[in-house]
Amino acid sequence: MSNTAAAYSPAASHKAGRSGRKWRGAIFWTGLTVYGVLTLYPLFWLFISAFKTNMEFINRPFSLPETWQFENFTRAWTSSHMGRAFGNSVIVSLTSLALTLFISALASFVLARFRFRFKAWIMGFFVVGMLIPIHSTLVPLFILMKQLSLLNTYWALILPYVAFALPTAIFVLTAYLASIPKEMEEAAFIDGTGLWGVFLRIMLPISLPALSTVTILSFLHFWNDFSFALVFISKSSLKTLPLSIATFADGYQTDYSLTLAAMSIAVIPTIVVYLLFQEQVMKGMTAGAVKG
Amino acid sequence: MNTLRIRRFIVLGLLPSVVIYALFVFVPVIWSAYYGFFNWKGIGAAKFIGFDNYVEVFKDPIFWRALKNNIIFVLASVLGQVPLALILAILLHKNSLLQRFLRSAVFMPMVLSAVVIGMIWQYIYHPQIGILNFLLDRLGLASWKLQWLSDSKIAIFSLIPPLIWSFVGLYLIIFISAFQNIPGDIHDAAKIDGATGARKMVSIILPMIWSTVQVAIVLCISGSLKSFDLVYIMTKGGPAHSTELLATYMYNSTFTSYRYGYGSAISTSIIAISLLFIGVSQWLMSRKTKTA
Repeated sequence: MSNTAAAYSPAASHKAGRSGRKWRGAIFWTGLTVYGVLTLYPLFWLFISAFKTNMEFINRPFSLPETWQFENFTRAWTSSHMGRAFGNSVIVSLTSLALTLFISALASFVLARFRFRFKAWIMGFFVVGMLIPIHSTLVPLFILMKQLSLLNTYWALILPYVAFALPTAIFVLTAYLASIPKEMEEAAFIDGTGLWGVFLRIMLPISLPALSTVTILSFLHFWNDFSFALVFISKSSLKTLPLSIATFADGYQTDYSLTLAAMSIAVIPTIVVYLLFQEQVMKGMTAGAVKG
Repeated sequence: MNTLRIRRFIVLGLLPSVVIYALFVFVPVIWSAYYGFFNWKGIGAAKFIGFDNYVEVFKDPIFWRALKNNIIFVLASVLGQVPLALILAILLHKNSLLQRFLRSAVFMPMVLSAVVIGMIWQYIYHPQIGILNFLLDRLGLASWKLQWLSDSKIAIFSLIPPLIWSFVGLYLIIFISAFQNIPGDIHDAAKIDGATGARKMVSIILPMIWSTVQVAIVLCISGSLKSFDLVYIMTKGGPAHSTELLATYMYNSTFTSYRYGYGSAISTSIIAISLLFIGVSQWLMSRKTKTA
């Protein structure tokens, strides 16, 4: 390879390379832009369609709305009990998030900073969880929830959400905590701070970057979940957003503009989170995925 | 600090995560294996029937059809998403404004709920009001119009574009972070040896990120075996079981046909199959790496 490179006169190859590169550059950018547009189009289409009338949605699917029907959103919010579903999603997601963060941080602190028997076993126990397909537990979980009389309560969602978020959370957090020098907490112990104090006042603040990864990853998972809600919740007053728009679409099959507005409402929080914390979301997803 | 207090802290710290995780992830897996031995309608007495359910699963043509569909999904992900994501990563790994924008665009569907993704694509594929058939009409390709989701011969393939659309961003980001982890002196050494462009890609970069590609393949396999939401929303496994996946079949057997025992036996089979697939793929790839 080095011989062939040396055989060319550098100036000539530079010139020939430049016009070729220009062409390739043009094709490359057009291709990529087309791909980008194609990839964003379904979402763009969802948002513009949500502002149309039913007639317009059917007859002119590609054009912008003639008059923007903002009342689709207000109608969807009231007539489909969107507000209630939104509230349920907020309650379930935030409670699950708080629980996941606290108990996984605590476990990770113990696993990363102390030496004790069975540590490897406990870590291994959590690894296995990442390989278990989440849906394969639906049937027994349903039976378990029924026996504990938890079906149709917020806990029917919160407890399994937390349980399935734990393996990834513990992995991300232990890896992070293990990289922090031991002197940090030794100094605190000498100053007389207790174990809980070290955890709450030193370890939690230090692991903020890892905690934010876990937060985003888990929040998206809780907010978007459909299958658990489908199986454990049948009371309409407890339905979360994904479940309620799915059932809503089944019920109002021909009121497209209403369904599309409801879908847009459900999607907006995750898109806002994504746009605000892009880098963190992407990093979090890969951390969760690669470790999983 | 006395050891007794430390020991108590270790136990207290691990207890909540271990209990929740064991109760809602681990116990259900073991229970589903156990329930598989019963004939049970969800109410009334369960009747022990030994291996009958498992034998029936093994002989059930719909189960095999579901497995085949899952394998189609695995192949579509491995052969569709991984190469596409690799090409996109090669094109988009620098940090220009357009490249960053396209990266975000491709990743965007990752943060959406499968319910919304499924519903958007349902509208795209809708035989009468769908934008795909509308577009084909406009382009004078009316003969290409199809019943994308209700023709049992093609429905399973119609599910592949939404699958790829929603997950390709994840693999793109995984590959880009792998590219960015390649130390700068490797690029310098490649330059000195005259290796640029495609040549550099094939003989230097690809072998260096091979382990990441392996991770992506394992993720594709486990991810595809986990698919449920998207298919449940779009086709519910129909028409005539043509898009049935293992998870939708398990759901339908349990909650539509009320065969809890049989559903549990399917659950257990899914876990066994997942572990088998992941094990075999890991083994194949580790062999390949050794001989290479």
